[in-house]
Amino acid sequence: MSTPYYIPEESVPLPPPDADVISTACDYCVVACGYKVYRWPVAGGKVGGPKAEENAFGEDFPVAPLGNWIAPNQHNIVLHNGEPHHVVIVPDKGTDFVNFDGNSSIRGGALAKKVYNPQTPTRDRLKSPMIRMFGVLMPVTWDFALDIAAEVGNYVLKQHGTNAYGVKTFSYGYMENTYAITKYALRHVRTANFTFHDTPSDVTSTPGFRDAGFDNFGPSYDDWADADTLLMCGTDPYETKTILFTNFIMPAIQNGQRAIFMVPRKTAGVAYAEKNGGLYIDIQPGTDLPVVLAIARVIVENGWEDAEWIQQWVNNKWESSSGFGQGTRNTPWQWRTTWGKFQTAGFEDWKKWLLAQEYSKPEVAAEMAQIDVAKIFTAARWMAAPREDGSRPKTSIMIEKGFYWSNNTGNTQAISALGIVCGCGGRPGQVIGRAGGHQRGGLRGGGYPRNKSPEKLPGRRRRAIDTDRYLMSGHTRLAHVIGTTWVQAMCGTQSLQAKFDELTTRNPHQVASFSKQDIIDTLKRRVDSGGMVVWNQDIYLVDPIGARYADIVFPASGWGEDTFTRANGERRIRLYPKFYDAPGESKPDWWIIANLAKKMGFEGFDWKDSNEVLEEGARFSRGSRKDFFMVKVAAQREGKTLHQKFGEFGTNGIQGPVLMDRDGNLIETKRLHDVNRSLPEEGPIGSAVFNKKLTHFNSQTGKCNIQKAPWDLFSSYWEWLKPREDEIWISSGRINERWQSGYDDRRRPYIVQRWPENWIEIHPKVAAARNIESGDYVQVYSDRIPVQNNTIVGVEGSDFDFATLLKNGHIELTRASITAVAIVTPAVKENLGYMDFLHTAQPANALAGRVVDWISGNYNYKMGVGKVQKIGESPYKKQFRSMSFARRDIA
Amino acid sequence: METRLDPKIVQAINGENDEAKKAGTRPCLMNRRQFLLTGGIATTVVMVGIPNMAEAQTPAVISTYPRKFITKLSSLKVDEPFDFLYPDEGDYSESMLVKLGTKAGGGIGPKEDVVGFNYTCTHQGGPLQGTYQAADKALGPCPLHLTTFDLTRHGIFISGQAYQSLPQVLLELEGDDIFAVGMFGLIYGRFDNLRG
Repeated sequence: MSTPYYIPEESVPLPPPDADVISTACDYCVVACGYKVYRWPVAGGKVGGPKAEENAFGEDFPVAPLGNWIAPNQHNIVLHNGEPHHVVIVPDKGTDFVNFDGNSSIRGGALAKKVYNPQTPTRDRLKSPMIRMFGVLMPVTWDFALDIAAEVGNYVLKQHGTNAYGVKTFSYGYMENTYAITKYALRHVRTANFTFHDTPSDVTSTPGFRDAGFDNFGPSYDDWADADTLLMCGTDPYETKTILFTNFIMPAIQNGQRAIFMVPRKTAGVAYAEKNGGLYIDIQPGTDLPVVLAIARVIVENGWEDAEWIQQWVNNKWESSSGFGQGTRNTPWQWRTTWGKFQTAGFEDWKKWLLAQEYSKPEVAAEMAQIDVAKIFTAARWMAAPREDGSRPKTSIMIEKGFYWSNNTGNTQAISALGIVCGCGGRPGQVIGRAGGHQRGGLRGGGYPRNKSPEKLPGRRRRAIDTDRYLMSGHTRLAHVIGTTWVQAMCGTQSLQAKFDELTTRNPHQVASFSKQDIIDTLKRRVDSGGMVVWNQDIYLVDPIGARYADIVFPASGWGEDTFTRANGERRIRLYPKFYDAPGESKPDWWIIANLAKKMGFEGFDWKDSNEVLEEGARFSRGSRKDFFMVKVAAQREGKTLHQKFGEFGTNGIQGPVLMDRDGNLIETKRLHDVNRSLPEEGPIGSAVFNKKLTHFNSQTGKCNIQKAPWDLFSSYWEWLKPREDEIWISSGRINERWQSGYDDRRRPYIVQRWPENWIEIHPKVAAARNIESGDYVQVYSDRIPVQNNTIVGVEGSDFDFATLLKNGHIELTRASITAVAIVTPAVKENLGYMDFLHTAQPANALAGRVVDWISGNYNYKMGVGKVQKIGESPYKKQFRSMSFARRDIA
Repeated sequence: METRLDPKIVQAINGENDEAKKAGTRPCLMNRRQFLLTGGIATTVVMVGIPNMAEAQTPAVISTYPRKFITKLSSLKVDEPFDFLYPDEGDYSESMLVKLGTKAGGGIGPKEDVVGFNYTCTHQGGPLQGTYQAADKALGPCPLHLTTFDLTRHGIFISGQAYQSLPQVLLELEGDDIFAVGMFGLIYGRFDNLRG
């Protein structure tokens, strides 16, 4: 990387009136704002002028506030068809949805600095395939790399079985790529040793939503704004999905929306809400469940529940059981709902259970969460108490990772029940869903072979493989890693990394030859000796998965470098066109997979371009929340490609599921579970799918299941984990200015200046007791990071309870230590340290226990503990160039 | 410590001594950016040629900013912003000078605590007038989208969406007189600080 210091520019070239204009969407957060790329050749030295007729915006400079200003971070120079071109990448001022006033966050606002330009810190993009020889990654040709990958891959499948071939991939890197990857891994390789970037197992992220019948992304963005009361759990949308806050929630708060945040840390959005009459429920980590149930208890004790909604839309005893208890029960959903721990006989049964739980009493819950009990009563009143005229407030509930990655099953069950009693579902302003993290770019090209997984829980139930534990047990012989750090993105990362070391670099079979056959033979010997080989597809070399472990590196191309398609958090599907040349020999992931698959002898990978991939995959979207099959039907009818058709929708995109009316017009879906929606009487036209989620809920009857949320399934872990002596909670999450692992942000001097390395926010009392000041380097460490180390067959109901695992010797206590720059601020809960979730060099996940939520199989990433001690002063403490230690919750 | 600049440097920075014409040809020229980046650490700028540095690598001074008297140092009170216009009287030239009472990047005066910044948010042009936060030495939150800026650290954003740091006004102290002599960063709304 060139300079770590940001040097602001004082001028920027304006696009001339004849610049090419390409509509696209942001590459980063789930909101996916609309953008425009202005592109014109460098040759000739032509730039636009300050008069309206002299520039592509048709605006006089200086422009008005909210105008078409170009910050220097929004300009770059790229190659297009081999010739240098200026690009200016700015939010689209003319889009009708999402960022409808041309607004953007800092992430998307600096998109131009992500594109490859060898004069910038992006110069280390991967540009050619590489093979590790003599310990060094050497550039080779595609054929050389793919021949070796194919032969060793087939060998692993034949000698060690399909589950020895592990695939760990992003779930969202555009539908063309995820379709190709899942078609390869699940339909052709058919490995159960498969999962996505954010979970050790291919399982649902929100089991409680699944059981209740709620889609994660049912709501429209307008719904969040239309709510009278909005409960936001485990996220501040200002920080992580900015435009959802600044364009929807912030104006709503200005117009009287009562915003309730349930988070342990105050950031700008929380501070804004609080200043404007909102409520900040500052729970300590992992105590969401009792607080949510206590709010629900206050509601039902006062008779504030939405009785009419419950009568109409909640399953009664017979409906709850219908469709259950039959067949193999070989699905997580069936197992969870028939086990007796969650299922109820309807609202009254659930209410009886709720009132019988000690931890649902407001005083008890408040004590557990370390909050003022009055907040529970206020929240209940705001969410459900009828107004003087008898009308109900429109209430919505938004959850995100701080919530569902702390007691994954329990929290999501509890919040679903609270949502149901408040009447949240599928009406304008009355919704429940996830806010979202990354965009929604998944398209399944194959089904997960769950019956090949060794994971078995009590009650005849299989769960998807835990790929981390499988690897730790030495069963993974080939790890094919696509667009994720794997190691730092999981939990207990340092012991996981030690195992990677053992299986790869410390295995005696290392390539020390230039001959293709020698390389193949050596890698086969490593595999046979119990070691592991690693293929890594990415846009940059990631340490350690690529830099240290990969035997083969495939350079991938990404945003703007091929034409792709993806949906945002309200199911709005947009085209992301290619607008410049990918660096070197890098190729899109679908191409890499296709060529590997062909060399391995698999059929069905003869795609000419990304459009062909999407056209093939379109039918697999049928019935899903982003069903776009009818767009393909329309495209074919009009003699266009699917990509061309999507391109016509520009930054507005088209909101799925997409239906078609009798006249052939495409019909969008504003919200799922839209109980007031009337579908055409003639039924679905052609291949269109009408299913429950359009007008009902995703359950056996189409009504909601109201379920119990027992704390005792989680309590033994929480009680054991909670800070002892001088430990504090160590939690982590996104920070506004950085996206994912910072793969782009580390190469943006402006962002590097703000966040040069990982940091930890600690409370002044914690800091004072340890003699720590803002700007000090601290060590964050622990010697009791629990790691579940055996795959056991569950027989008794409590076999996977943490206390039982511990007693039976299935939990190993490991050690970890990371460093960080201290930020002392009262904005965090007193017993909490908060870090950025994914700095590859200082991974906060090192402190999180590698013990999955035993019902769902997800990690509870936000639950870590550790000690903090001062090392000395960081260079940022007294310099003025980098970082800021000012508080982020100024309102 | 004396923070007054060598007038020759100021002339060079402002292009008043034909330095601009010779840009790229003199091995000892320091540009405004380097000045500001080092301003928080070194209080005395020394003109020293860098041995073995190719002449072509020497940074150039191109823009020419007016040297404008702002106010007297002795008239400033801690945490009370003083407003002025710079580098011209056109759109978005509203700027502020403030004595922070704490040492700051690019600060002048005996305590290096006097800094100047443009008032327009570098996200979408929101007005930051009246948002000075004495407790945090910050400007903001911007009324449009809540960005806050740290005035002790060259206007870096604390939290928020700004596309770049808040443009800092380069200051010079001559006796008790404070002069604005340049800008550091593009002013919102403009494509060029000096051309609008």
